[in-house]
Amino acid sequence: MLHLRNLRVTIDDHEIINIDDLALQPGARLGLVGESGSGKTMTAKAIAGLLPNEAKVSGEVNFDGQNLLTLSDRELAKVRGKRIGFVFQDPARSLNPMMRIGKQVSEAIRIHTDLKGQAVTDKVVDLLRQVQLPEPETLLRRYPHQLSGGQQQRVMIAAAIAADPELLIADEPTTALDVTVQEEILRLLISLSEQRKMSLLFVSHDLGVVRFVCNNVAVIYGGNIVEAGGIDSIINHPKHRYTAALLAANPGMPKDDNFSAFIGRRLQTITGSVPPVGRFPSGCRFRNRCQHASEQCATTPPVTTSTPDHRYLCWHPEQGGQS
Amino acid sequence: MTSSSTQHSPLVAVEKMSFHYPRARITSGGTGWTLQDISLAISLKSTVGIVGESGSGKSTLIRVMCGLLRHQQGNVRFNGKDITEYQGDGANELRRQNQIVFQNPRRSLDPRMTIRRSLTEPIRALQDRTPDDDELVSSIKRVGLGPEVLSRFPHQLSGGQLQRVGIARSLSVNPTILYADEPVSALDVSVQAQVLNLLMNLRDQMGLTLVMVSHDLGVVSRMCEDIVVMRHGHIVEAGHTSDVLSRPSSDYTATLLKAARAASLERS
Amino acid sequence: MPDTSVTSTVDDARPLKPSLGKRLRKLPLTLYLGGTLVSLFVLVAMVSFVWTPYPANKLNLTNRLAPPGTPGFLFGTDRAGRDVVTELMLGARNSLYVSVVSTIVAMFLGALIGLSIAGSRRTLQGPFTRLVDAGLALPGILTALVLAAKLGPGNTTATLAIITWQVPVAARVTIGPARQILALDYVEAAYGYGRTKAYVLRRHVLPNISPLLIVLGSVMFAAAILIEAALAFLSVGVQPPTSSWGRFLNETQSLLEAAPYLMFFPGVAIVLTALGFNLLGDGLRTVLDPQQARTGVA
Repeated sequence: MLHLRNLRVTIDDHEIINIDDLALQPGARLGLVGESGSGKTMTAKAIAGLLPNEAKVSGEVNFDGQNLLTLSDRELAKVRGKRIGFVFQDPARSLNPMMRIGKQVSEAIRIHTDLKGQAVTDKVVDLLRQVQLPEPETLLRRYPHQLSGGQQQRVMIAAAIAADPELLIADEPTTALDVTVQEEILRLLISLSEQRKMSLLFVSHDLGVVRFVCNNVAVIYGGNIVEAGGIDSIINHPKHRYTAALLAANPGMPKDDNFSAFIGRRLQTITGSVPPVGRFPSGCRFRNRCQHASEQCATTPPVTTSTPDHRYLCWHPEQGGQS
Repeated sequence: MTSSSTQHSPLVAVEKMSFHYPRARITSGGTGWTLQDISLAISLKSTVGIVGESGSGKSTLIRVMCGLLRHQQGNVRFNGKDITEYQGDGANELRRQNQIVFQNPRRSLDPRMTIRRSLTEPIRALQDRTPDDDELVSSIKRVGLGPEVLSRFPHQLSGGQLQRVGIARSLSVNPTILYADEPVSALDVSVQAQVLNLLMNLRDQMGLTLVMVSHDLGVVSRMCEDIVVMRHGHIVEAGHTSDVLSRPSSDYTATLLKAARAASLERS
Repeated sequence: MPDTSVTSTVDDARPLKPSLGKRLRKLPLTLYLGGTLVSLFVLVAMVSFVWTPYPANKLNLTNRLAPPGTPGFLFGTDRAGRDVVTELMLGARNSLYVSVVSTIVAMFLGALIGLSIAGSRRTLQGPFTRLVDAGLALPGILTALVLAAKLGPGNTTATLAIITWQVPVAARVTIGPARQILALDYVEAAYGYGRTKAYVLRRHVLPNISPLLIVLGSVMFAAAILIEAALAFLSVGVQPPTSSWGRFLNETQSLLEAAPYLMFFPGVAIVLTALGFNLLGDGLRTVLDPQQARTGVA
């Protein structure tokens, strides 16, 4: 469905993204996990063709066999929206505050389908119902500010799936939402993906959320995919040191309600912080923060496959499982 | 009421307190109040987590408790004395003992002041003296930063570094109680872990009472022995964290827990 | 084994700024253009204090209305035989004086009023802002005429008129951004360690709106130039024998048949100077905004 190959993005002579191989199967849900400065949002933008002008891109972004990077702006615009849908982080910012909800969703329908008139309105109501918004007929006359954050995000999702895309790219869609609302929205995304056989690329900094939604995950650091594979495999048996460290630093929730064992226990941290663009070390980009780095790490580690489903880039990977 | 030690007089005691923002319209049905009928107690040297979703009033609560906002009903006592009675020099003393760390590191420091200047502000304001560089250097080292950050401006530092500066600033006047408003929500996971560890270490070193507002139950379970759950301006439930979270007495708490568990990693 | 070390060095901070050369090249064109025009204006005005081609008001009755290019008179002479270049230079001096004084005073008073309103109680802010709006609505020329009637025409009247006109503008512009800053966390932190509102306005709000004020100042300068010229044109401003571009322009009106080209000299001078200030303001805004947008006033 979506296959990134040798994707390189440079801005001002700094290599921001360098992805050799990343694939997303039809109907699958892939989480792209990284912290700020990892390049995860840039990767999503590269797929969408929304990189800033100064960015130089090379490689392949193969969508259903076609390299999106070779398309003209107009052809790309047709793909965006019709075959690839987008949901962004802050719905309040993506929705036009001066336009009624119904109108905003119908725009997506009008542009990408041949429907007209009443058929469009019917489809809007149907979409709003699919994203589990109550009383869609009344809702479509409302303005964004009259809706809660969760409802706004559902509207965004409705607009994104309006033209029945094969791929939905969601960039931190629940980060700005309350935890109970987050659960509902995540469940909605899962059910939409399953019902419509729609692939989902879920970009996030939160491994907990990704575990809930996705079947596969790719961890990105310094513009490189350092580890990728099935979600359970990665979380229970992380190989790359960064993945392991990220998991250890996550506060998580205690198993079996064992709260008393949790309290006051320090979290495992990663020394230092993510270097800004252009300041990464040569070879393995994580090596200046890694306890297990050696001289060998000054050369880029090769892709190692531990199981067909699980690959990573590390000279000194973790042994054993994660507790 | 929460109390995790045998102090007979809590550090902060709130009794039937209600608060609304100045221009809010209060109806007979009770809407318009941001906080309603709040009663709780914070013991010296305890760590309390205040959790709730948006609109719960948790951020407003700590501001009323430390005296930045004035409540309209009920009373708030700090160290046995009604906070409205702290006047003149007493007002400064109240401020000194109650400090806040804010959520967004980029908004909590004046972008036009050097770090050095930002750090000296509370001492100049509350203790009427200008600290010398030695004092500033030890203050900045205590939060894990090097002295070279003193001459920098906020835009030259990362979010994690700025948050540490914010913590250093609030601790510079040796407060008794530190209120932290979502101190790590705006930070990446690895940076978050560093700052949480830092807060725990400093709390132990300095014997601080820590009141932390958070929407993240995972973070609160790590840091806080006591917990207060809020919803729509009311306290839903309060007590020891391990009790409340393993056997919640309120449906709302149970819902929060379920949602938090769903999107969290299970750790042992 | 938990690692609780919290070392982090400033090397992990933002990358260093690009070199000076690179930054200079990235400056907007408007800044260069505006800056050049404004510097030219100021230069001409300053030079006029030490030298002009001819002494002020030197009449040359034998050489009236000489066309440009006449030997000794680069731009020609006016109805009374005064050299145009000299007239322009002296007029520049006048414009500079009036616009500097009026802009500085107007900005100072306007910012003071704006900050006070932003810092006042919520319930009072509305009415006070309406008062400022009322000030904005006052027709400026009318105020000037009234002032002239009471105080007589002259530079002082012109300056006062411009101030009255511009203070509400400066006030109105500062209220919004000042309120935005007062809502920020670092202001709340300042209250948290006992600072008064007056201190906050002076030491936190004012410095953080200074880019805005700089831009506002340059635009107000442009307006002052235009207003001064307009008032002099209407014979409400400065009177002879003091030179003024506006008055010069007025005189050329009656000469449209005899010397139609003459009006271009004061006209172009006014336009270029006002344009220069506007461009400078625009350039400054572009330069100052992006850096501050994320941390100060948007």
